Amino acid sequence: MTQQNPSTLQTIVAGGVLLIGLGLAAGAVSIPSAAGYGGVGPNFLPWLVSIALVVCGTFMVWESRTGGFRAMDDSSGVLPCWSGFAWVSAGLLANAALITTIGFIFSCTLCFVLAVQGLRGAEGKADLRPVKLLKDTLIGMAIAAPVYWMFTKFLAINLPGLTSTGWL
Amino acid sequence: MQGFATAATPVNLLWCFVGCALGTAVGVLPGIGPAVAVAMLLPITVKVEATASMIFFAGIYYGAMYGGSTTSILLNTPGETASMVTAMEGNKMAKSGRAGAALATAAIGSFVAGTIATVIVTLFAPIVADQAVKLGPPEYFMLMLLAFTTVSAVLGKSTIRGLTALFVGLAAGLVGLDQISAQARYTGGVPELLDGIEIVLVAVGLFAVAEALYAVLYEGKQVEAQNKLSKVHMTGKDWRRSWPAWLRGTAIGVPFGCIPAGGTEIPTFLSYATEKKLAKDNSEFGNQGAIEGVAGPEAANNATVTAAMIPLLTLGIPTSNTTAILLGAFQNYGIQPGPQLFTTSSSLVWALIASLYIGNVMLLVLNLPLVGLWVKLLKIPKPYLYAGILIFATVGVYGMRQSAFDLFLLYAIGVLGVVMRRFDFPTAPVIVGMILGPLAEAQLRNAMSIGEGSAMVFVQRPVSLILIFVVVAVLVLPRLARRWSARTKMA
Repeated sequence: MTQQNPSTLQTIVAGGVLLIGLGLAAGAVSIPSAAGYGGVGPNFLPWLVSIALVVCGTFMVWESRTGGFRAMDDSSGVLPCWSGFAWVSAGLLANAALITTIGFIFSCTLCFVLAVQGLRGAEGKADLRPVKLLKDTLIGMAIAAPVYWMFTKFLAINLPGLTSTGWL
Repeated sequence: MQGFATAATPVNLLWCFVGCALGTAVGVLPGIGPAVAVAMLLPITVKVEATASMIFFAGIYYGAMYGGSTTSILLNTPGETASMVTAMEGNKMAKSGRAGAALATAAIGSFVAGTIATVIVTLFAPIVADQAVKLGPPEYFMLMLLAFTTVSAVLGKSTIRGLTALFVGLAAGLVGLDQISAQARYTGGVPELLDGIEIVLVAVGLFAVAEALYAVLYEGKQVEAQNKLSKVHMTGKDWRRSWPAWLRGTAIGVPFGCIPAGGTEIPTFLSYATEKKLAKDNSEFGNQGAIEGVAGPEAANNATVTAAMIPLLTLGIPTSNTTAILLGAFQNYGIQPGPQLFTTSSSLVWALIASLYIGNVMLLVLNLPLVGLWVKLLKIPKPYLYAGILIFATVGVYGMRQSAFDLFLLYAIGVLGVVMRRFDFPTAPVIVGMILGPLAEAQLRNAMSIGEGSAMVFVQRPVSLILIFVVVAVLVLPRLARRWSARTKMA
């Protein structure tokens, strides 16, 4: 995998800040000033924040094109583990998508199992044997279930369940 | 005494103990700090009454400071900037077989500093509150501006990235209904956004989820060598060398906690520099590890953290991530910390302060004889640790609003957190900006109304004018000092 030039990535990040600033400015146009007695209305801070982000973004674009962001930690040489990132992301997104359907315990267990595979893969110890997966599932459940019971039974906080018993 | 009576009820003592134990665990475990632990547990504010939950959160807050030193000394992985100095010197001591003495001086130093600082909070917080009643919106706005300036422009390596993080936080705080005119801003017609973006969501996303994603992306191959734990014990010589350092550390830490100047970095480094300068023989510093280099900064750290309760309780101004989230917890109860808090919720405030005394004793017991138990937590395999954190992140975020949409947003904020960390943007200004932004805006608009639309109101009032000078000094002086030291080096 080829590594992108760090200053190109920095330009993208700085450009993102600039775009957020411009986006906020576009939104600020539709906020009425209604300044009233004080001369400062609800659109004052939105404009201030947009202008500040545009200025910061522009400055950082300039920094990135002239030798890179200043006073940065040297993190060169560390290649990101994208496959591990994909596993953890899949776990988090599956959790968000399924929590109301399969309930907190199963959804969080799934998230746990997927995230463990990603993190283990990042350590170079990927292991997808059924025994290992079963162990991960049981550990995930052993964490998720008591958390669920503590919140639903003791603290009466509503969390989605597969059944309406508050236990599963 | 009424505070002790409230704090010492069995239920509140239990909350205090659970908070301290959880805080120590959180401090020991890498990848999870007090801010995120409090944020993930904020949903309990729905059910648990205010005094109990504030005692619980405070326990987590200072428990994590005790626990953090254990990891720094044994693993050399400071959980947060506060333990960086401890990691430098404590780890050197541990490597030369003196881990036990380093752990003992850190725990006892934390206790001494925490207790002295609590006495100062007890004595001075009501006086500050009395004075703070006299402050008006212009002064409050300037105090908040000072907090913004220090947290973004002074701390961290780059002013521009600190300011960017602050403005991103302020932008997030803008979403929802404007406090004064009830005008909807940046809601995009989504009804859920009228209430604003939940602070728990941002804090958990930026800290917990981002930490797990960052670990999987960049830290998978990192191997940590753990130092051997020796008997937690200090010799007579260790005591003689430690106690002056504890007191000096406390004296340095308390003032930094009291002013809205944010963070424990400056006092801990200052204390380290002082100890190094005052040491008769400073050859141990950076080599075998000097006990004063652990004792002083640890005391400074705890003194700052405890004294930070003064601006939080009396002015409603948080000076760190965790105090910002504690402010969020108060707001969940409809309580606005500030000078009136000592009259409107006096039993809550005094119980909270009493719990600081009780918690410090509990933490000493939890951290000295039981340190071996906490060290066992470091044996948890990292994949299980981070994956487990994600379960707690889910419960914290989902428990607040029962919205699956928030979990998608949590992932997006986690990715943003990874980008921020990769490109060295500090995260504290985001949280402080998000929480203080709406409050600062309201104060600004009220101040401008007092000035009948003229910004001169900020320079016409003496306290406000002084604060303007302080803000300018905070911005200019460190730069001048840096330039001056560079010039003297060149010469």
